[in-house]
Amino acid sequence: MSATQQYLILLGLALGILGAVLSLYGLARSLGATRQEPGKDVPASAGVLSRDPVWGRYHARYYGYALLFLAFDMEMAYMYPWAVVFKEVGLVALLDMGVFLAILFLGLLYGWSQGALRRQ
Amino acid sequence: MTVALVLLTLLVGAWLLAVIEAWLTTGRLRPVAPLLAGLSHLGRESILARKPDRLFFETAPVLLLVVAVLGAAVLPLAPDLVIADLATGALFLNAVLAYVLVSLIMAGWGPNGAYAMVGGWRFLGQLIAYSMLIVMPITATAMRAESLLNSAIVESQAGLWNIVYQPLGFVLFFIAAIALAFRSPFDLPTAPGELAGGVDAEYTGVRLAVLRLARLVMVITLSAATTVFFLGGWQGPLLPPWAWSLIKTLAVAVSMLLVGFYLPRIREADLLGWCWKLGIPLALLNILIVGLLILVVP
Amino acid sequence: MSEAATTLAGARKGRPSILRRWVGQALARNLSCLVVPGPEVALAHGLDLAAADMRIAATPRDATVLLIVGELSQKLDEATAVLYAQMPRPRAILVLGGSAPSSLPQADVSADLSQTELMEAATRLQRLLAEDAFAASPDDFDSSILQAKTEYVCPMHPEVVEDEPGSCPKCGMDLVAREAGGDSDAGEHDHDHDHEHHGHEHDHDHEHESEEHDHHHAHHNDHGQSHEHHHDHEHHQNHKRAHDHEQHQGDDDHEHAHCHEHEDHGHQQSTAQEQSGTEYICPMHPEIRQNEPGSCPKCGMDLEPHKPEEDEGVREGVPEHDHEHHHDHSGHDHDGHDHSDHDHDSSGFMSMVEVTKDLPRSADGLAMDWLEVPFGPCFPGLPGGLKLTLTLDGDGVTEGQATSLVAMNTSSEEVAVETFIERLAAAMPLAPVSYRLLACRAIEQAAGLEPDPAVERGRAAALERERIASHLGWLAQLGRQLSFVWLTRRAAALQLETQRADREQLVALRPALQSLIARLEHTPLLKARLKGIGALPHGSQDLRGPVARASGRTEDARQADAMYRELGFEMRAESAGDAWARLRQRHVEIMTSLDLVEVAGDPELPKLRAIDNPSGTGEATVETPRGRATLRLTQERGQVVSVELDSACSQHIGLVADLVEGQELGDALVAVGSLDLSPWEVTS
Repeated sequence: MSATQQYLILLGLALGILGAVLSLYGLARSLGATRQEPGKDVPASAGVLSRDPVWGRYHARYYGYALLFLAFDMEMAYMYPWAVVFKEVGLVALLDMGVFLAILFLGLLYGWSQGALRRQ
Repeated sequence: MTVALVLLTLLVGAWLLAVIEAWLTTGRLRPVAPLLAGLSHLGRESILARKPDRLFFETAPVLLLVVAVLGAAVLPLAPDLVIADLATGALFLNAVLAYVLVSLIMAGWGPNGAYAMVGGWRFLGQLIAYSMLIVMPITATAMRAESLLNSAIVESQAGLWNIVYQPLGFVLFFIAAIALAFRSPFDLPTAPGELAGGVDAEYTGVRLAVLRLARLVMVITLSAATTVFFLGGWQGPLLPPWAWSLIKTLAVAVSMLLVGFYLPRIREADLLGWCWKLGIPLALLNILIVGLLILVVP
Repeated sequence: MSEAATTLAGARKGRPSILRRWVGQALARNLSCLVVPGPEVALAHGLDLAAADMRIAATPRDATVLLIVGELSQKLDEATAVLYAQMPRPRAILVLGGSAPSSLPQADVSADLSQTELMEAATRLQRLLAEDAFAASPDDFDSSILQAKTEYVCPMHPEVVEDEPGSCPKCGMDLVAREAGGDSDAGEHDHDHDHEHHGHEHDHDHEHESEEHDHHHAHHNDHGQSHEHHHDHEHHQNHKRAHDHEQHQGDDDHEHAHCHEHEDHGHQQSTAQEQSGTEYICPMHPEIRQNEPGSCPKCGMDLEPHKPEEDEGVREGVPEHDHEHHHDHSGHDHDGHDHSDHDHDSSGFMSMVEVTKDLPRSADGLAMDWLEVPFGPCFPGLPGGLKLTLTLDGDGVTEGQATSLVAMNTSSEEVAVETFIERLAAAMPLAPVSYRLLACRAIEQAAGLEPDPAVERGRAAALERERIASHLGWLAQLGRQLSFVWLTRRAAALQLETQRADREQLVALRPALQSLIARLEHTPLLKARLKGIGALPHGSQDLRGPVARASGRTEDARQADAMYRELGFEMRAESAGDAWARLRQRHVEIMTSLDLVEVAGDPELPKLRAIDNPSGTGEATVETPRGRATLRLTQERGQVVSVELDSACSQHIGLVADLVEGQELGDALVAVGSLDLSPWEVTS
C-alpha cells in the first residue's frame, strides 16, 4: 500500500469515528432533549453559583520549562531521520548528534543554574 | 476487515480495563458494569455549560477518541494485523498523541468554568514535562530498528526485547505514558480531590460517555505502544501473535492502573522538576548508550 | 420511614419505550451519589455506601442521586439546592436521618440513619429509578436561589450595592444593573465582546426588544455609561448577528464588523470633546476617571465622556452620527484626539505594560487576571460545610477565606438537660461521642457530682475509640484529596470497623492499623506531597489538638485528667509543623489511643448519671479528636439556661487565610485539609 492510501485509510477512520460519535449523540438526543432549568447550566462550583466568566490571562508558571521545551522539541525533529540512518553512518553520526545534544544539554544546565527550571 | 478487528480489540481492551478498574476501586468484579455505565450515561441529559466556547466544548471528547484510535491504527498487533503500517509510524504516533493536549485545552477552555480552566492549563505543564520522555525513548528504539516503521521496530527485537536492551528507555516511556493518559499519579487535569473533576467536570450524558471511553482507549493505545516499542510486540512462543500482543498490552495497562491505585497525586512543580532535571538527562543518556551499543555490538 | 413519592421528581420527560426502560434499569444498577454534606459525614455515621452498591461522585454532574445525610443548616440547604439543580436528569433525592431540605422537592426516598435502612432505601431507589426514570410531564426545579439576581451598583463607587434601581447616595449617579456574584475589578472580561457591546448598545435602541433578553438589556438602553462585563456574552453574539442584519436592512448601510475598533470611540470623543467640564470614564472600569480624553490603562478602550446630570437618552443620537462619518474613511483620523499625555502611537496601540498598569502583580512581576473561585460547601476532599473561597492567579492562590456554613448556634433557649445533650451530639456529626461526653461532664459538674472512676473508664475508652475513628476518617479524606484510592478504601473500611468495635475487636485491629501506618510512611510520593506544605507561621497562638502537637506544642487536655494518668497516657509531639508532621502525629495518636483502650476496657457511650441537684454552673474540658473543647453551662431546675462553647475548630478556621496565601492550588487545599477542620465545631 502506498503512503497516500494509508493516510486515506486513516482519514477515513477518523471520519468514521466522528460519524459514530455523532450517531451516538443522535441516539442520546432521541431519548429526549435537555431540559433548560435555572441554574443547571452554570458551571458546577461545589454548591455556589458562580456565573463569572473565567476567560482571561491565565498565569502559567511553567514558562521557564516551556522555553527549554521548545529548544528540545526542535532537536527531536532532527533526531527522527538521524535515528533511521544512524547504524549505516556509524560513529560519525554519533559524534555529530552528540555535539548537538551536548550543546543543548549545556543550555539545559545553564537554564537550571539561572533558575528557569522552577515554578515561577 | 483489519479495521474491524483492531477496533474490536480496542473496545474489548477498554471494557476489560474498565472492569479491572472498577474491581480495584470497589472490590467487586462486575463484567457488565461498564456497559451499564455507558448506557446510563447515554440516557442522562447532556448539559451545555452556559456561555461556553461551543466549538471547543464539543470537539474535545471527540478529538480525544479520534486521537486514541488513530494512535492504535498505526500499531501492529500481528504482522498482518495493522490498519496502516506507515513508513513513519513512530513519528505519526507522536504527532497524533500531541493532540491530546489540544483536546484537553479545549475541554478546559470550553465550558467557561474555573475548575476546568485550571485543569486544562495544568495539563499543558504536564505535557512540557512528559513530552520529551515519550519522544526520546521512541527515537532510541528507532535507532535499533534503523527505521520508523512500527513493524520493523518489532522485528528488530527478535533476539532481545528492548526492555532488556534499553531498560532506561522503557521506564521513562512507561512513566511518561501514564502522564500522557493523565491517570493517577499524574491526573492533574482531572484531579477529583483538587479540582472536582477538572476538565471532566462539565461533561454530562453522552459526551461524558465518549470522554470516558476515549480515556480508556487511550490507555490501551499507550499500552499497545509500549508493547510494540519495548516488549517485542507479537513475538512469543506457542500462542498466535495477536494473542501475545493482547496479553502484553493488557499486562501493561493493568500495571498502569495499579501504579495509579497505589500512589497519591504528584505536585505539578515536582513533576516538571523531576522530568527536566532527572528524566531528560537520563533520556539523553539512554540515547547515548543505545548508540554505543548499536555501534559496538554487531 | 414511609415511602415518599412514587414518581421521581427529577425524571426526564419521555414516553416509555424499550430503550428508555433499559436506560432506567442501567441507571438503577449504576448509582452514583453526591453526598451532602460530604462522604466523611456518611462514614462518621457508620454508613457504608459501597456495600449499598453506591459509588461516590465528585461533582453533581456525575451524580444520579443526591444523598443527604442528617439535617442541614439553612445555608447548606441553599447550597444543596444549587447542587441539585446542577445534576442532570434523571436524578433522585435520598434523605437519611432527617427531612428533605425546604429548598428541594420532596425526597424520593427517605430513611433513618443506619446501615440497614440505607440498604433498604437503596433498593427502593433502584426500583424507583428503573421504573420512573422517564415520566410524562415532570416539573422544572426552580428556586429563588438559582435565579440570577440583579444587583445595582454605582459605577463610580463599586462598594455601593443595592437591590433596587435608584441613585447612588454618594454621587447621585444612576445605579447600574449587574448580575450578582461577580467580582468587580478582576478584569476577567473578553475585550472583543465588550468592544462590540459598546458599539451596539448605542445603536440598536429598542430594535431588539422582541428577543428574549432579560431585564439587563433594558437597563443598557437607559444608561450608556457603564457597562457590565459580566453580561451574557451570548446576548452580545445575538445582538451582533441581529444587529448586522437590521442595519443592512435599514438606511445605514455600513458594516459594523469593523466598527468595533478604536476609531469608533475616537470619533465619539472628537465630538464630545467640545463639551467642557466633562469627565472621561472607561466604560468597563468605572473607577478610571480623567479630565481629558484618552485610553483606559486597564483595557485600552477609549474613555467615554460623562456628565452626571445629562439625560442618558440624548447621547444615543450622537453615535449614530459618528458611525456614518466613520464609514467614509478607510484610514482613521484622529485629529480630534489630543493624546499629548498618552504614550501610544496614533494607531491606537496599547502596549501590555500600559494595559496592565494598575492591575495587581504576582510574585514574578506579571499582571494576570485573577479569579475568585469557590471551593465551596461540597467540594470533594475538603470538609463538607466549609465554604472556602480562593482568589486564583493562574494556579496559585493569592488570597483565601474560609467560613463555616454549618456552624452551631449556641444561643439560647432553655432546654431540658437530656435534650441539650442529644442536640449537642447531633450537631457535631464528626465527633458526637466527644461532645456528648463534654455535655455530660459539664452538667454533672454543674450538679456537683464527683467523677466516678468506673464510669470514667468506659467513657475514656469511648473517647479514644472515637479518636481512632476520626483520624482514620481524616486519612480517608486525605486519600480523596490526593486521588490515593487505596488509602481511601482502606481507611474508610477500618473506620467503619472501629466505630462499632468493642475492646476485643479493637485489639484485633491493631495489626491492620499498624500496617496501614507503616505503609503510609513508605508510600513513594506521599512524603514529597506533604512535606513543607501547610507550615503555619511561627507563633500562631491559637493551635490545639494534633495540629498544635505537630508543631511541637505540648498541649493535651488529657494530661490534666486523673483517669488518663491512671491509664498510663503519655503525650507525644512532632516538631515540624507541616502537613507531613500532622500526618505522623495522627498516626502516633491512633496507636496511643489503641493502647489506652486496651488498658481501659470496653468503651461505653457517655450517659448522664443521676443528678439530684439540677442547678448550678459547670465547666468541662475534653480533648476532642481535633483539639481541646471547653463547655461552660448554667442549669436551673433541670433546664440548661446558658451555654458557652469554645472549640478547637473555631480557632483553626481563622488560620486558613494565612495558610493558603501564595501557595499553589493543590498545596493550599492539602494545607487546609491537613488542619482537619470540622465546620460543625465552629461556633458562630
